[in-house]
Amino acid sequence: MTRRVMVGIFNDEQDLLRVTRAVRSQGLPILDVYAPYAVHGLDQAMGLPPSRLPWVCFALGLSGAALKVWFEYWTTAVDWPINVGGKPWDSLPAFVPITFEVMVLFAGLSTVFAFFLVSRLYPGRKAVIANKGTTNDRFALVIEEADAAFDPPQVQRLLESYGAIEVYERAEEEAA
Amino acid sequence: MTQCRWCIGLAAAGGAAVALGLAVSPQSALGSLLTAGFWLLGMGLFGIFFVSVQYASGASWSVAFKRVPEAMSSVLPAGSALIAAVLAFAPVVYPWVHEQDHFTGFKRMWLDLPFFLGRAALFLLIWWVFARVIVRYSRLQDMTRDAGLTGRITRVCVGFLVVFAITFSLASFDWIMSLEPHWYSTIFAIYNFAGMFSSGLAALILLLVWLRRTGPLRDFVNEEHFHDLGKLLFGFTTFWMYIWFSQYMLMWYANITEETVYYISRIQRFWGPLFLLNMILNWVFPFFALLPKRVKRTPHLIARVAGVVLIGRWLDLYLMIKPSSAGANPSFAIWDAGALIGSAALFIYLFQRAYRQAAPVPMADPRLEESLHYHN
Repeated sequence: MTRRVMVGIFNDEQDLLRVTRAVRSQGLPILDVYAPYAVHGLDQAMGLPPSRLPWVCFALGLSGAALKVWFEYWTTAVDWPINVGGKPWDSLPAFVPITFEVMVLFAGLSTVFAFFLVSRLYPGRKAVIANKGTTNDRFALVIEEADAAFDPPQVQRLLESYGAIEVYERAEEEAA
Repeated sequence: MTQCRWCIGLAAAGGAAVALGLAVSPQSALGSLLTAGFWLLGMGLFGIFFVSVQYASGASWSVAFKRVPEAMSSVLPAGSALIAAVLAFAPVVYPWVHEQDHFTGFKRMWLDLPFFLGRAALFLLIWWVFARVIVRYSRLQDMTRDAGLTGRITRVCVGFLVVFAITFSLASFDWIMSLEPHWYSTIFAIYNFAGMFSSGLAALILLLVWLRRTGPLRDFVNEEHFHDLGKLLFGFTTFWMYIWFSQYMLMWYANITEETVYYISRIQRFWGPLFLLNMILNWVFPFFALLPKRVKRTPHLIARVAGVVLIGRWLDLYLMIKPSSAGANPSFAIWDAGALIGSAALFIYLFQRAYRQAAPVPMADPRLEESLHYHN
């Protein structure tokens, strides 16, 4: 299926933030916003729900730590007990640094992979780029022409009033 | 913001309780006084250290409430006076004064009473002078509206950071670690710095919540500032735990008598539960409480976490100082409470007095605008 979208190109991040707020307050459906770097405050302007990634980070960090404590206990106290300096087999203080490292490793890697997963980033994927300028110094706002009430000239004027340097319509393949 | 009228009364009552302690049980009361003095001094040092770090890094986010840490530094003379009172009784407080024969070489040279008092005076003087210069320049900018002053203050701040790192390390070795002169820990100064910085942040957060509610900063401090302060508090309470554990683990692993003696006296009987409580207040609770974004951005919630960290710092200092003289079964005396309440009241009184001397917001600071409109 194809859909028609309107793309507004901007030169400045402040323009982008203002136009995003304005477009959203008019009830127009924002498909996505493209920027060469992370723009602070853009997620609020787009009205995105809070990210769920911290929960992945927390849960996997905790499981990583728990798993590691169990593994250290099993290796040093159960499967092959080794006497180190006459200390008890299950010497918790000795486990702490490694537990900490494994927690960080699990939390960090799982967050990155969860991010790749939810944003469907994997090797060989064809990039969706609104405009080649967004990989350099331009910002792009993509609005879906959702229904018959969508009035292209009016929306174009709105975008231009916020400093759009270029506005064009195009049809694109909808992601399955 | 109304001046705390009964603060002076409370401070005087606390002073009286400590004076009573000095007559009844000098060693115990001097321990309480050292705890209070080092806590108060830490608050003042945090103020000037925080301001210096902001200038040195060219930070703009904190400019809106810069006057608050600046005013915190005004407690330095009072903190110095408390430390001076303890050092005046050095032969009672520090066992090495009488045990010179037990030491050789560098330690004997270092733990020499006139040298000890001389460098203490030097440290206190250096901190006070730097704080005076930085705060004065910063306030001067309000009147001259000279943006160029920012560069001059930055140079002084960078100088302070270098001097501070050395003097604060030596001060914590001298005044606290030498209570048990045969025990030593090379990480002790960083451990103390971590506690000082996280508790200073906690105090700063509490003051900001209070000043926002009572007026002066209502339109200037917003949830973005609290969010960033919350992140710093989260980071530095964890840093404290990291350093705490670094000190503990090496001594536990090596298991050498002159090192483990410090922990053995702190995990037995009366001290055992406090030893665990210390970790809960300073790290376990703030760590989990500060994880959600909402807590960091909601003033009355982050204020509660900050309150716990501030109490935790007191306990941390208490555990560093008291067990060295009190033995395994101390009693919590009226001068302990007096020193705690008295120094807190003194802090509030001196802070308010200094905060009122200047405009609550540095209107002429070139970075103010950025501080009022930034996003996390």
